[in-house]
Amino acid sequence: MHYFFQRFVFSLLSLFILTLITFLLSQVVPGDPAIVAAGPNAGAEKIELLRSEMGLDKPLTQQFLIYVGKLAQGDLGKSWFTHQPILEDLIRELPPSLELVIIAMVINLMISLPLGLWSARYNDTRFDSSVRLFAMIGAGLPIFWTALILQNVIGGELQLLPIAGRLSFEYRTFEGYTGFFLLDGLILGRLDVFFDALKHLILPAFSLSLLFTAVGLRITRTAMISEFQKDYVLLARTKAASEPRIMFKHVFPNGAPPSLTVFGMQFGWMLGATVLVEEIYGRPGIGRYAVKAVTQSDIHAVVAVVLVVGVVFLLANLVVDLLLYVLNPRGRMDK
Amino acid sequence: MKLFLNLTFFAKSPFEKLALGIVFFIILISILGDFIVPYDPTQIDFRGKLQPPSLEHPLGQDGAGRDVLSRVLSGARLTVLSTFTVIFVVLVIGCTIGIFSAFAGGWIDNILMRIADIWLGFPPLILALGFAAALGASLEAAIWALIFSWWPNYARLSRMITLDILSKPFIAGAEVLGVPLWRKVTFYVLPNAFDVLIIQVALDVSAVMLSISGLSFIGVGAQIPAPEWGSMIADGRAHMSTAWWVVVFPGLAIFFSALSFNVVGDALRRELDPLLRRV
Repeated sequence: MHYFFQRFVFSLLSLFILTLITFLLSQVVPGDPAIVAAGPNAGAEKIELLRSEMGLDKPLTQQFLIYVGKLAQGDLGKSWFTHQPILEDLIRELPPSLELVIIAMVINLMISLPLGLWSARYNDTRFDSSVRLFAMIGAGLPIFWTALILQNVIGGELQLLPIAGRLSFEYRTFEGYTGFFLLDGLILGRLDVFFDALKHLILPAFSLSLLFTAVGLRITRTAMISEFQKDYVLLARTKAASEPRIMFKHVFPNGAPPSLTVFGMQFGWMLGATVLVEEIYGRPGIGRYAVKAVTQSDIHAVVAVVLVVGVVFLLANLVVDLLLYVLNPRGRMDK
Repeated sequence: MKLFLNLTFFAKSPFEKLALGIVFFIILISILGDFIVPYDPTQIDFRGKLQPPSLEHPLGQDGAGRDVLSRVLSGARLTVLSTFTVIFVVLVIGCTIGIFSAFAGGWIDNILMRIADIWLGFPPLILALGFAAALGASLEAAIWALIFSWWPNYARLSRMITLDILSKPFIAGAEVLGVPLWRKVTFYVLPNAFDVLIIQVALDVSAVMLSISGLSFIGVGAQIPAPEWGSMIADGRAHMSTAWWVVVFPGLAIFFSALSFNVVGDALRRELDPLLRRV
């Protein structure tokens, strides 16, 4: 219980620093926000009025408290350009991004964990060095460039997968409950929609995951190598335990936790990296929203995205840590 | 300090030697870039619009007829120099905070490292996007933004090294002799930290480079006629299906630079890292 409490306090502290950062970010806008908001033809009185309305005449600490108070009520401010509440925008944009990141994470795990384990088992063989080469190459590829090349070659030239969007034209009237088309397809029993949405996800998710897979693969491999060198593996071998048993019953459960922590962090990083992918594949989502907001210098919308990605990041880490605590009794002793 | 005696000792395999060669080549280009370009990298030539690679223009011409080879060469300067600027500033700021934190100890150390821990976690790209939005889109803004999101790495690392060094017997000896603080930092801590820091730098170069070009690609970094690799790709996107060379060559430039720095960083770590050797 003590650990849960500690971990929770740490998350709250992180959340506080996150809001402090986003608050300061929205403060450093070049120029006087009241003048910007009032428009070019406003008189001095209107500017003064707006200034007190926006709370700009109050001291900075008080402004921060007001800001936090608004956040607590789910008020992220209004977008300067769409004049919509930013919260509504984000609620609409978050599901497609999360869907993309989840599929990218599944690809990441499906490659990193087995390949990491196998290349650790066959350390220093030709198989291992080709896995390492793959990881090296993956870590050097710019996400946006890979996305463009895959889109043009596999989507455009070879026409194997759709180029852009979330669903094909014939499903343009499809509406679900959750905004996650994969989930909606399953709930409504529309498998055609499910597979169509999945087809649209493969290229963007793969481009997004490649860099993270390279890192995840390396970390898994290193963790597993040090696990294979431990005494209990030697003991299991002398007891003539079968190789699959050693790999899956002994080494994998013991070596996985450190990489799980990294995968938890990667979830938030991937959500941040959607800014590089979503626009290319014409997918709605917070990444594309953030890029649009930046080019329109809609600072409040950008700051809101920073905040939301930060919160998702904190949650993902919290979940992974609690999961590790439950799964791995040894970790509890160290704390 | 072994590094200064023989700059190439750590490159063992032919692959690593090649990577090291590419790294030297890229640094050379980024210094000489503007002197050896065949054409002015921002010169517009509408008659040469989207011409494929030829003898006069080995890598073709882009949507405004600018020579892609010249732009890739002179882009090395922008991309590589901004990457090194970020790393250098982050190194100085991060190490100052880290070493200060280690020497201060107690609650100051605790608070600083908690902040670094929390900061470190946030997705750097999205944090940088926030800063770039606040500062306005330009290469300088992207550089500042990355500096802002990258410092905790070095603060953490240099604090760890400093604590390690401070626990050594020779520091106790120095204490007895009354060696002043600044001398402890410059004579004991920094030289001992050099190896570990240089490895981290080599490994970070590619990550920073990918981030800078990524920020430029989405339009918050270098702005269009500037030949930054990321913004060149953004500029060439619309022509990609008809003129692949506009997008492929700048991307290859990023890829080979990032890959080579990674390979070199890995080799350096294998040969130099005392922490790794201990395990």
